[in-house]
Amino acid sequence: MTSRIKEKVFFTILGIPMVACLLVFFWIVFVLSSGIGTLSWNILTTSVLKGGIFEMIIGTIYLLLGAAGIAGPIGILAAVYLVEYAPSGKLTRTIDQAINNLAGVPSIVIGLFGLTFFCKQLGLGISLGAGWLTLTLMILPIVIRGTEEAIKLVPTSFKEAALALGTTKWKAISSMTIPSAAPGIITSVVLGMARVAGETAAILFTSCVLVTRGLPTTPLDPVMALAYNLFVKIVALGEPPEKVFGIALVLFFIVIFFATAAIVLRIYYRRRQPWLR
Amino acid sequence: MAEVDIKKLNVWFKDNHVLKDLSFTIKENAVTAIMGPSGCGKTTFIRAIDRMNEIISGSRTTGEIYIDGINIYDENTNVYELRRKVGMVFQKPNPFPKSIFENVAFGPKIHKIANGKEIDKIVEKSLKEAALWEEVKDRLNDSAFSLSGGQQQRLCIARALAVEPEIVLMDEPCSALDPAATAKIEALIRELGEKYTVIIVTHNLQQAARVSDFTAFLYVGKLVEYGDTKNLFENPKSELTEKYITGEFG
Amino acid sequence: MLRVRNSKKMLHFFKHFKKEPIEALLFLCAFFSIIVLFLMLFFTAKEGLQAFFTFGIDLIIGQTWKPSEGLFGAFPLIYGSIMVVSGALVIAIPWGVITAIFIAEVLPFSIRDIIKSIIELLASIPSIIYGFIGVLYIAPQVASLFGISFGTVALTASLVLAIMSVPTILGVSGEIISAVPKEYKEAALALGATKWQTIRNVVIPIAKSGILASIMLGFGRAIGETVAVLMVSGTVARIPTPPWNFLSPVYPLTAVIAMQMGEAAVGSREYSALFGLGLILFILTFIVNTLADIIVKREPKIRSGKK
Repeated sequence: MTSRIKEKVFFTILGIPMVACLLVFFWIVFVLSSGIGTLSWNILTTSVLKGGIFEMIIGTIYLLLGAAGIAGPIGILAAVYLVEYAPSGKLTRTIDQAINNLAGVPSIVIGLFGLTFFCKQLGLGISLGAGWLTLTLMILPIVIRGTEEAIKLVPTSFKEAALALGTTKWKAISSMTIPSAAPGIITSVVLGMARVAGETAAILFTSCVLVTRGLPTTPLDPVMALAYNLFVKIVALGEPPEKVFGIALVLFFIVIFFATAAIVLRIYYRRRQPWLR
Repeated sequence: MAEVDIKKLNVWFKDNHVLKDLSFTIKENAVTAIMGPSGCGKTTFIRAIDRMNEIISGSRTTGEIYIDGINIYDENTNVYELRRKVGMVFQKPNPFPKSIFENVAFGPKIHKIANGKEIDKIVEKSLKEAALWEEVKDRLNDSAFSLSGGQQQRLCIARALAVEPEIVLMDEPCSALDPAATAKIEALIRELGEKYTVIIVTHNLQQAARVSDFTAFLYVGKLVEYGDTKNLFENPKSELTEKYITGEFG
Repeated sequence: MLRVRNSKKMLHFFKHFKKEPIEALLFLCAFFSIIVLFLMLFFTAKEGLQAFFTFGIDLIIGQTWKPSEGLFGAFPLIYGSIMVVSGALVIAIPWGVITAIFIAEVLPFSIRDIIKSIIELLASIPSIIYGFIGVLYIAPQVASLFGISFGTVALTASLVLAIMSVPTILGVSGEIISAVPKEYKEAALALGATKWQTIRNVVIPIAKSGILASIMLGFGRAIGETVAVLMVSGTVARIPTPPWNFLSPVYPLTAVIAMQMGEAAVGSREYSALFGLGLILFILTFIVNTLADIIVKREPKIRSGKK
């Protein structure tokens, strides 16, 4: 009997690091929410030129949507290839490894690449478009992996039934597999957006400036972003963190919103798809 | 060595009532076969004897099982001691991804039964009991996966015997093996039956007839008939048993 | 001879796509990642190697980093990175691995999903928010606790980095541990092993290389972390005295690039020096990630494609 009790005590102690994780999370939420007083609907909707942060919010959203819009299709198609078409061999393994490596590149290095390739080489300068392309590189591995997983979960019998009726492989996949995998795909895109919403290093030299006159009208215009602004204000301009609390809070909300959306979507779709587990 | 007395055993998995009011006594030092069509609860039954159903979430057990006069479901029972006394061999051979030696030595080491040289002796003894010693004595440090399927299963038997159990449970031990390996293991089972209380689940009627001294026939979670194997097969008391034996259903 | 064989292969390659032309598009999308990676290497090297030609090995071993005076010795910066990352990993590795074991093996099923979701949220917090909290709350605490004037020191950076690295280590370790086939666990339990004995003697040995891979990935992520360490590390390009003094400010590689690239004129010596540092980072993380990949792929005991 005492061995059972000893085990229970041991496992309770083993659980302390996990509890620490939870405590850290709640502490962060608590600490950030103390700054909620600095926010008001007014600040969110007023232009930066008049003391608000409107363009920062919209700029962040522009960057998000554009990057997801580019990385989404490419990532989905790439994943379809890898799961459904790729022959097992050296080339496929290399592509697989390249995706893993891409996922592990530090964001500052991606930012440097963006600067020298998109901004300089392709002549985009510091622009929304350069930001899109740079952030695409960060979302891409997330979308590819997520889509791969989603496709693998779809029972092959769906596709086989379509093929047995005489359709081409691509038609079977596009009409059966991809729609069935859609929930997982959407979830991974949302996860990707959560990833880049708060991204600073990648947009540091590629797309953002501190203040713009109004919103960008073309992809060649520079853009304002919450993360960039927060960063420059604290680090370069030395503003006391208390003054920029509002920006940090809005950014936090946006990121948590997307991250939570991804989790909720995953749970919701798992219920609606009876063939999962 | 150990008689297994089952009294009103019921097992549920969530809402599924798998075993219904099972009551009978398994004789010691004999081989008892548990047979029945798929889904009748055979595996659940033998897992109940070493309380392995508890690992699965959503499982609930009522009733009593007495081994050596002690109810194993009593709350004071040391379940780890129980599992040492009741060995289990699974359907698909599952040796640890370790060496042959380490596999057999695992149990004794965990239970601190022996140390150092003693363990070597136990490993040799168990491998001999499982009729595997001659084939592996020169390569004890090789990976368990270098063995064939039948050899791996005998390794699992040796592993179970190494902790000196009184009862050995076997869940369709030959279903993943070829006929030659099956024959070897069936011979081994008959030998083990002289020293241990062996309870073997099988869906293979001929195997039950070949190997066991007693047979219990389960159907949809209930005990239909139990008795001496020869008698049960030649003169089944229940019509259901007769239908199953003659292959009217399976 | 070689030419003929290669062109035959290429012809076969292109003919393959004639069957279903859409496959060509799909292939290109997948191949895109290799192209991108290659472009990255090429362009980063293009700018970065320039620095090595100009400064030679001095870029890495030089002890003084003062761009304004034309001194580009990045050793203190490299040291700063390694110092901060080491401190972080010392905390994050046990923290992450133990939590992974606990969640995968001990935690009851019912609350597992909730806990994993919370940790996922923790992982998605952007580094600038960590930096923000670090500057606002952690640095002052460190300062008052140790009686120093500013809390932006290596210790604070390590603490913040540790919190950020735990989810990475946890996530990959957790996946590996969950992937250990349950037959092995059942076999151990059937022999009478306790839960902890099963974990210690069966699960962990099997998951060992996966856990190692997760640590390497954690290292890769930590060394590439920019914004958070920039905000709390103190940004002083000097090796602390004594060298293990965590209560000193340091200047990790990533922070330098982020801070000083804005002011570097394109094509200037500073520009290429910073790219040189970027190149070092790129190669380092590339190696670490490839190694981690190899370690996981070599593992036959873990079923791949585990959902």
